[in-house]
Amino acid sequence: MAEKPHTPSYRLGVFVFLLLAFLTALEFVLSLWLNVWQLLALVAVIKAGLVLYYYMHIYRLFVSDPEADHESYVYKLATNRMGLWLFFISDLFLFGGLMIARFNLLQLTHPDLNQVVGLIVTGVLLLSSFFANRGETAMARGDRKQFLISIGVTMLLGILFLVGVIGVEWQIAPFGPGDGVQGAIFYSMTGFHAFHVLTGVVFLFIVLRNGLRDRYSAEKHWGVEACVVYWHFVDVVWVFFFPALYLIGKVFGS
Amino acid sequence: MKKFFSIGLVRGLAWQILGTALGIGFVTLVRLLLRLPAWKAEPAVVFGALIGALFFLYGVGVMDGWLKQASGEEAHDELDDTHLGWRRYFGASLDHKVIGIQYLAFSLSLMLTGGTFALIFRTELAEVQMQFLSLNQYNTLMSLHGMIMIVSILLGIAAFMNYLVPLLIGARDMAFPRLNSFSFWIAVPAGLILLSSLLLGGVDTGWTGYPPLSARAPLGMQMFFLGVSLAGFSSILGGLNLIVTIVRMRAKGMTPFKMPIFVWAALATSLITLTATQLIGLSFQMVMFQRLFGMGFFDPSKGGNPVLFQHLFWFYSHPAVYVFVLPGLGLISELLPVFVRKPLFGYKWVAMSSIAIAMVGFLVWAHHMFTSGMAEYLRVPFMYSTLLVAVPTGVKFFSWVGTAWRGKISFDVPMLFLLAGIFVFLFGGLTGPPNATISTDLHLQDTYYIVGHFHDTMYGGYIFPFFAAIFYWFPKMTGKRLNEKLGKLQFWLIAPSFTIMSLLMMRIGLLGMRRRIADYDPAMGFQPYHFIMTVMGFITALGVLVFLINLFITLKRGKSAPGNIWNSRSPEWQAPSPMPVHNYDKPLEVVGEPYDYGLPGSRFVKFEGEE
Repeated sequence: MAEKPHTPSYRLGVFVFLLLAFLTALEFVLSLWLNVWQLLALVAVIKAGLVLYYYMHIYRLFVSDPEADHESYVYKLATNRMGLWLFFISDLFLFGGLMIARFNLLQLTHPDLNQVVGLIVTGVLLLSSFFANRGETAMARGDRKQFLISIGVTMLLGILFLVGVIGVEWQIAPFGPGDGVQGAIFYSMTGFHAFHVLTGVVFLFIVLRNGLRDRYSAEKHWGVEACVVYWHFVDVVWVFFFPALYLIGKVFGS
Repeated sequence: MKKFFSIGLVRGLAWQILGTALGIGFVTLVRLLLRLPAWKAEPAVVFGALIGALFFLYGVGVMDGWLKQASGEEAHDELDDTHLGWRRYFGASLDHKVIGIQYLAFSLSLMLTGGTFALIFRTELAEVQMQFLSLNQYNTLMSLHGMIMIVSILLGIAAFMNYLVPLLIGARDMAFPRLNSFSFWIAVPAGLILLSSLLLGGVDTGWTGYPPLSARAPLGMQMFFLGVSLAGFSSILGGLNLIVTIVRMRAKGMTPFKMPIFVWAALATSLITLTATQLIGLSFQMVMFQRLFGMGFFDPSKGGNPVLFQHLFWFYSHPAVYVFVLPGLGLISELLPVFVRKPLFGYKWVAMSSIAIAMVGFLVWAHHMFTSGMAEYLRVPFMYSTLLVAVPTGVKFFSWVGTAWRGKISFDVPMLFLLAGIFVFLFGGLTGPPNATISTDLHLQDTYYIVGHFHDTMYGGYIFPFFAAIFYWFPKMTGKRLNEKLGKLQFWLIAPSFTIMSLLMMRIGLLGMRRRIADYDPAMGFQPYHFIMTVMGFITALGVLVFLINLFITLKRGKSAPGNIWNSRSPEWQAPSPMPVHNYDKPLEVVGEPYDYGLPGSRFVKFEGEE
């Protein structure tokens, strides 16, 4: 397998996490002092690029051996990866449609939301992505204990994110889903995203349970990889939703 | 009784009824606990229908493999060849051939339903004033005719893509057999939910479901939206599966430009269904949310924008027409060389034209909105991008003419349908540019001219190639050959009557007959035309009846046709009919060009161990 010449490293994950945290802080500060949407979009694209490359390993899609036997594990693994990524492309059209609706209806303003809660839930999701990556790295190194701990922490952080969005943000927002377009946009965008987070939490739970039963090995752990990459995908969506819902422009109607 | 419940479909339906009841009960209970008036039909029925669909999928057994994997057990994609009776067609199967036939049967039954609706309201139109339908019934039948036909076409193309693509590329099965089974079975509850709108007040918006009308239509509208959204998953996941299969599962030596042309068409189609389908789902769900939660996406009084719906909706629904016709046009290119015994003219250009139509198709959606009040500067670019579609389509026509030119044409039933397809699609194609051109479209928008135009494209691009494909591959599916005489009778019933009907539609459209309306002014002089169209509609239906009789007779006591009856070069005809469960005994290898008909000594594939 061409993609594993060296042991996957924990340190790379930490480094990428720090970079993402810095960029998130940067975009938050940028939105306060210099609210130019192009800059915010640029930061979001850089963040998404980092996650796509270092956490979702997009380059693995392009590593395959065309001569391999169609029934071999390596070949099937690459086939599965392609299926998962096509699913992401499809799903991106759903989230893209929501973004189009958002910019059509709210233009360059954002709903009247609590900035602190927004920053906290974003941080929670970012941290969960770090642990998800750590879990996958641990599995690839054959470190089962670290893998179980990391996946468990990821799942708890995912639940915390849901509590933050649905339990706190939805309750304290000064508008309901029926109150004007900002309500429609805010509840539909967070709702669709939260549904994906929920499915991710269920997926993590399944992987954790199968991990406890020792179903994965350092060589064969497609289930872990799929779950973690899906989790990062949901994170990438939030990378764009966070500035779109909290940061861009002035408060709607002000 | 136990035997009865061992049939997957029966279990699925039982579970669906249970799930619907539970969903309705759950919403009512929650409302009771929240001290709201307990019964509110809309949320209860929508939630019930959704839960019912999920329960159906569980009941039919299509999720068993995934649930096993999720609970840590081993689940294999291996085929179980022990149950080979008729029963396997009524339950979750992993065999792409069985799934293809399931798609085909379900598609045909939906098509009969949609066609019956058309006959009913066509009869109403034969005479001015309303005779036996209420206005709401007319609207409902007309809207559901549109959407049910669309779903049936999506299932029909899925039938042939599922059945043929793995065979044509020499694979054992699709890349993800379990997902394939799921894609089919989710369409069944979706179809039932869509049909249930008949009983829940109907649908009175036409198949497009534009708000603000759809935001205050009867409850049936919600079932319409939910059914289509669920059917969308079938299309998305089916497309995903096909792309992966085509990219990853091809036989040795089958480079991209040696793939059969139908595989190219399937690839182009799947690229659209994979991506754009999300947006019709989203736009319909947004209207559902507007109705359920008061979200004001398309409600101007809340700052919403009704035109936004049209953008999201047409971003799928225009490329969707290429989804409907690309496989059919691919079938024409695939089968024409067999019946004229000549190589396909300009293979690479035809392959690329399918991809080009799919790609350009993403850039044309707003030509449906020239009269919708969208920004005026958007009209011209959309006019030109739409006219651009004619170029790759012209490439296909050029290739067909070039292929048939001086060929040894044999007029078997599939060939007749191919020729009718080319002929009628030419009408459909040539009547397209006037709709794309802004100045003429302002007059033609929402007239019967449009109705005639798209029925021509659907018949030429789907219905006729679809019948050709059924006649051509029926021996491969069942080992029996459909009756040629009845086939010819069916052809001569359908092709002329349909052509007359669509030309008359365009004629009265040009004169000002509006589409979608239940009645018309006698002073306009349209009544004789409508009467003729109704008669033609019934003759077309008679042709379909002949087809059904043909199917029935052939299955009961048809002539067996085990070998390569069409003298085809394609790999599936080198294997016995009906196709063995595991497809090819030995792996095959591509050793030549796919369409070198008439070249002595050449062949497309050879099997391992063959000389």
